[in-house]
Amino acid sequence: MRKNAGLQIFAWIVFAFLIVPLIIIVVTSFGTNSTIQFPIKGFTFDWYGKVFNNESFMNSFYLSLEIAFIATVLALVVGIPAAYSLARHKVFGRNWIKSFFLSPTIVPGLVVGYAVYQFIVIQFQFPIFQGLLLGHFLICIPYVIRVVGSTIEQLDFSIEEVSWTLGCTKLQTFIKVVLPNITSGIFASFMLAFINSFNNIPVSQFLSGPGVTMLPTNLMNYIEYNYDPSVSALSVVLMLGTIVLMFIIEKTLGLTSIS
Amino acid sequence: MTQQRRLPYIILAPGMILLIVFLVLPLVSIIFPTFFDGGFTLTHYISFFMDEYNMSIFWRTIRISLIATLFCVFLGVPTAYYISQSPKKWRGLLMSITLFPLLTNSVVRSFAWITILGQSGIINTTLKNIGLISKPLTLLYTEFSITVGSVYLFLPLMVITLVGILENIDSEIMEAAETLGANRFIAFMKVILPLSVPGIIVGSILVFTGSLTAYTTPQLLGGNRNIMLATFLYQNATALGNWKGASVIALIMIAATVIVMKLFDWVAKRMDKRGEASA
Amino acid sequence: MSYVELNDIRVSYDNKTDILKDLNLSIEKGELVSLLGPSGCGKTTTLRVIAGLIEPNDGEFIVDGKNLTKVPVYKREFGMVFQSYALFPHLTIKENIAFGLKLRKEKKSSIDKKVKDILAITGLGELGDRYPKQLSGGQRQRVALARALVIEPKLLLLDEPLSNLDAKLRVAMRIEIKRIQSQLGITSVFVTHDQEECFSISDKVAVMNKGIIEQFDTPEEIYKNPKSEFVARFIGFENFFDLTPIEKGKYKTVDGTTFLSTRQWEPGKHIGTIRPDDIDIVSNTESTATNTVSGTIKVRTFLGKSYQYEIETSIGALLVNEVDDVIYQVGDTVTLMIPAHKLIIV
Ligand SMILES: Nc1ncnc2c1ncn2[C@@H]1O[C@H](COP(=O)(O)OP(=O)(O)OP(=O)(O)O)[C@@H](O)[C@H]1O
Ligand SMILES: [Mg+2]
Repeated sequence: MRKNAGLQIFAWIVFAFLIVPLIIIVVTSFGTNSTIQFPIKGFTFDWYGKVFNNESFMNSFYLSLEIAFIATVLALVVGIPAAYSLARHKVFGRNWIKSFFLSPTIVPGLVVGYAVYQFIVIQFQFPIFQGLLLGHFLICIPYVIRVVGSTIEQLDFSIEEVSWTLGCTKLQTFIKVVLPNITSGIFASFMLAFINSFNNIPVSQFLSGPGVTMLPTNLMNYIEYNYDPSVSALSVVLMLGTIVLMFIIEKTLGLTSIS
Repeated sequence: MTQQRRLPYIILAPGMILLIVFLVLPLVSIIFPTFFDGGFTLTHYISFFMDEYNMSIFWRTIRISLIATLFCVFLGVPTAYYISQSPKKWRGLLMSITLFPLLTNSVVRSFAWITILGQSGIINTTLKNIGLISKPLTLLYTEFSITVGSVYLFLPLMVITLVGILENIDSEIMEAAETLGANRFIAFMKVILPLSVPGIIVGSILVFTGSLTAYTTPQLLGGNRNIMLATFLYQNATALGNWKGASVIALIMIAATVIVMKLFDWVAKRMDKRGEASA
Repeated sequence: MSYVELNDIRVSYDNKTDILKDLNLSIEKGELVSLLGPSGCGKTTTLRVIAGLIEPNDGEFIVDGKNLTKVPVYKREFGMVFQSYALFPHLTIKENIAFGLKLRKEKKSSIDKKVKDILAITGLGELGDRYPKQLSGGQRQRVALARALVIEPKLLLLDEPLSNLDAKLRVAMRIEIKRIQSQLGITSVFVTHDQEECFSISDKVAVMNKGIIEQFDTPEEIYKNPKSEFVARFIGFENFFDLTPIEKGKYKTVDGTTFLSTRQWEPGKHIGTIRPDDIDIVSNTESTATNTVSGTIKVRTFLGKSYQYEIETSIGALLVNEVDDVIYQVGDTVTLMIPAHKLIIV
């Protein structure tokens, strides 16, 4: 009933700015020309076939999934108990420790990757795979601490006390009472950590070797020398993945829970 | 009883150890040598800041980050306000439009701007077709393209941060301002804007430090002539084989991030007279 | 023509159901008029139409002979006190109050003086430099009032301004509001769903139901002569029974007893109603006499100053409050006397 035309126009220009570039990519992925064109001539799905038949892309895709998944799970295993402890226990230097767990967000991703590469891979001769895993674990841990931590803080402490009075040990209580009540937080942090790990470039930039290249890094290297619609096609595939994840999040937690 | 007291530390230990061994030690191992050349020295840092070429990269990085931040504020505040005021059923859609780019890979997002700004990109093709230009404009591989890419990369973050704050502002406050004689624009400037300052600051920290340390955007949209700190670090470490140089840049990037965060926090505290960080 | 007029106002949020249906209301200069009604009946909507925060789908809104229907809220110069107070958290109390004056580009000295005066009137003297967060609920309420009053509004609008306060403070503040309102002679519209609050403060009351005004009268009139069953129920008439009009002032109940009423009757009205306080329990009267009915006590409740009996009679269940020394037991058969001057036909 009370609208403001100026504001509305402004906002929709911004929305267009946000979404149109991605729509353009979608369109260019169907062009028949061997370099990217807009508007496109002809219509073909060939570029998608090229992407799925490109062994290098597919290998790095599987690697990215694997690294993101293992790193996220590792971050959850280490992070959930830590987040619980920080929220519930009287810990000396609590804020300081919490900041420490969040500190990977302060260190620029490229620097994290560089440091891990120098120290772990060069100095201690770890395989690149392990280096990647650790680097991505560092990406994931702050999300777990932050999201799970705030979920636990919102959880009524007295339900744990009730459980203790009913004869549960602290460990049983944690497993039977706390965990079931923070599943949404755990799931949200899983999603956030997974997406951010999967999409991350700077951390993986140094950590790449023969046969061990993450998908975004691989795509980036490809773009430097090629300008054909298979890049668009791969981008569209990644966007579809984003849509699927957003849909899952919306159906389970609601999109607002991760923003 | 002592076991009780030790428990939290036992729980926290694995994470702490992992962080120390795989983040702190590696960082120390790369930073430490930059201060030692026989004995303690600052020469590496002094010479970095004395070098004109290095400084041009440093200032370019600051400049682009600053401009990108300002644009994100300018574009983000009204948009976030629009989202926060729209009916519930619309808000989900608008949030999705904002979140979608944010969750999409940044290589994809930068690549989009290559197809738009490139020599044979959409803008140049269109302008040529309607006869406005005969030679393609140089839009890509400029500071301009990096700035556009950075704004594109970080605007969703700003909007989402602000929506969270603006949604919590009681809509009656805006109406109260209007009943007191303020038209929409004045009410926005005098009430909504001051109340969103905490959100603007949080958002600005994210955008500014993000642009300051971004690697993908300058790498893809900047080309060889418009290097920023992150790309410079990479260049030093790989092509130039200058490990120490790379480490110096690494510390400068960390320091710049921390300084910017502290600075913004300080500004936030000074500006927020209510003695509470959030609206 | 009245000072404020709402003519045939219709509002619909979704263009399907009407929230306000051809609502009419006239307010004289200097009056305090209350909108009283149950939750969701459209009180806030009416107030927001007056304020200009909602544009009505149909109808016109006139103040002082000028049609303001299309005038935007910020040009109307009405003061409004919101239920949440809506104080600006980033401004001090003084700055909050001066907000409207500054927009009117008044001179600084004049603003300072007006702010000081209104702080004194509303009893906020020392608090001018604090922020809203640093005040108690009652103090915030006063700031909201001061901020609305200081612009010398043509009309003061208050939407349940006391509902966030505790019971004691509510009484104190409503006296305060009435004092300031009559002292400054500001025409006011006050929204509430608390009838005691409403009756004590208003010159006139509009009882609303589902988007229409059921009755618009002085508090006394409404209390004594509700015009409809809805109004009667809303202000504490709890006994309702069907009557068949026979001639003016004479009615028959369903069981054939004659009931007399000295109160007004309009054609079509056929429901008798009376407050629990106004029914008397009498012994030794024949139940066939006029204005009596007999019944059995089903429930007895102790109310403090009296007992309340729920009595099953041939004209339906009736609630009766009795202060008498005689205490009746559940199961007792009693005869009820319904005084002719207390029996209202709606
Ligand atoms: N913005 C809106 N959109 C749709 N319907 C609304 C809106 N605001 C109010 N309504 C509906 O209009 C009707 C009247 O609402 P209004 O707020 O005027 O009631 P009220 O009398 O002030 O009630 P209360 O005493 O609870 O404040 C309600 O049924 C409400 O659900
Ligand atoms: Mg209301």
